[in-house]
Amino acid sequence: MDDGLRTTALTAHHRAAGAKLAAFAGWSMPISFSGTLAEHRAVRDDVGVFDVSHLGTVWIEGPDAAEVVGRAFTNDPARLTDGSSQYTLCCDEQGGVVDDLIVYRLAAERFVAVPNAANTADVVAALTTAAQGRAARVADASTDVAVLAVQGPRSLEVADQVLAMLGAAGTPATDTEPLGVATVEVRGAALLLCRTGYTGERGVELLVPGEVAAPLWEGLGAAGAVACGLGARDTLRLEMGYPLHGNELSTSRTPYEARLGWAVRLDRGAFRGREALVAAKERGPTQRLWGLVADGRRPARAGLAVRRPGTDEVVGTTTSGSLSPTLGVPIALAYLDADLGPGAQVELDVRGPPTDAEVVRPPFVTSDPRT
Amino acid sequence: MSEEIPSTLRYTEQHEWVRDDGEVIVVGITAFAQDQLGDVVYVDLPTPGAAVEAGQAFGEVESTKSVSDLYAPVAGEIVERNEELDDRPELVNADPYGEGWLVTMAPADRTALEGLLDAAAYRQLTEG
Repeated sequence: MDDGLRTTALTAHHRAAGAKLAAFAGWSMPISFSGTLAEHRAVRDDVGVFDVSHLGTVWIEGPDAAEVVGRAFTNDPARLTDGSSQYTLCCDEQGGVVDDLIVYRLAAERFVAVPNAANTADVVAALTTAAQGRAARVADASTDVAVLAVQGPRSLEVADQVLAMLGAAGTPATDTEPLGVATVEVRGAALLLCRTGYTGERGVELLVPGEVAAPLWEGLGAAGAVACGLGARDTLRLEMGYPLHGNELSTSRTPYEARLGWAVRLDRGAFRGREALVAAKERGPTQRLWGLVADGRRPARAGLAVRRPGTDEVVGTTTSGSLSPTLGVPIALAYLDADLGPGAQVELDVRGPPTDAEVVRPPFVTSDPRT
Repeated sequence: MSEEIPSTLRYTEQHEWVRDDGEVIVVGITAFAQDQLGDVVYVDLPTPGAAVEAGQAFGEVESTKSVSDLYAPVAGEIVERNEELDDRPELVNADPYGEGWLVTMAPADRTALEGLLDAAAYRQLTEG
């Protein structure tokens, strides 16, 4: 009944819990449990837990590990210290975005990258190419590793409580710096505790061996973490203006168009796409990614035309949209012609009469995951 | 949760229900439909007085993740729209057969109601 879809260590649990499952990037993933809005609120106000085991887990190890990471991705791994992480991009030779991902440095010769499910193979290929002739080994561990994201104001305390209950030894989440990563031992297995997430709330992402996933998921639920699906993950990240690969990011967009130039470090040696990115930066983007807040209540959607007010002139296209569960207003991300920026007024073609919208600089909600 | 199919109502293949109140009929979406949609955040309904054909798309219901058309179950005239849904679209989820009703209609031909599915036929549809 899975139609060849990949399943996580928890898929049977989710099905038994009555979750709505759907195909996502070749995986059968929970879209919602109790309902997207309730799950969204739980993460903003309290604590929620997501099964995001479809994310890839790729190890880069060896004396040249940092160099391999630096050649495959746009950010500079030399800026990382042991136990820290950075947001980075995997670009193609033309400077288009193949994937956005987090790279964690555990030790000088030990890195782990967490790419999106749909792009794991491409990211592994980029790393493998970069590793040729160098003293580093690239290993795709995606199949064996479950990823649980515990997110929300109470996430760190709940995660620590459950890890302690399972007999974990290591640095607790509450003592780990934002963007930090620590190794924790649970039942003889090594678990990575990462102070990262995709919701805008404080939280941890736990990379765990498949056999630890079920007791951890159950423990988190018993401790009050609300089971959340990819539907809430999407509305949460949209409220923060975080780009989603496949919506905002693709090989036909450069990091500069996505306003992700800060994750591209040109002040260093060669990496894939560097030459094209130097040229793209010099040229300047013809469109840039901004937020839109629209009038009314009708949710904005991806793929809507954005027009100059009172004209037929199309000045952009939305890439994601919804009704913000927190604000109760329609919000969207859109690529807009470079002359437009925050404060500009536009019209959104949300079926029916044109809807007024204002260009804003995300995040749409005030939240700081570092607190 | 989606097994809830009141035997007193008639149904369409588009997962809407129809209650015959005599002068007018009341139209809504089924418990199965709202469960499939997920959290409803916006409902677009036709203006009272509008004449609609059977099967005509006459509105939309939007959840956090998708947009679905609403179809007139029979031909007729829109009498009322549920204005409460403008501010509380979540009623469609919370009470699909009650407070979450969508419109009332005056059917052009009451015999058309006989052509709608009964509860048993609709159950078969949702289980098929």
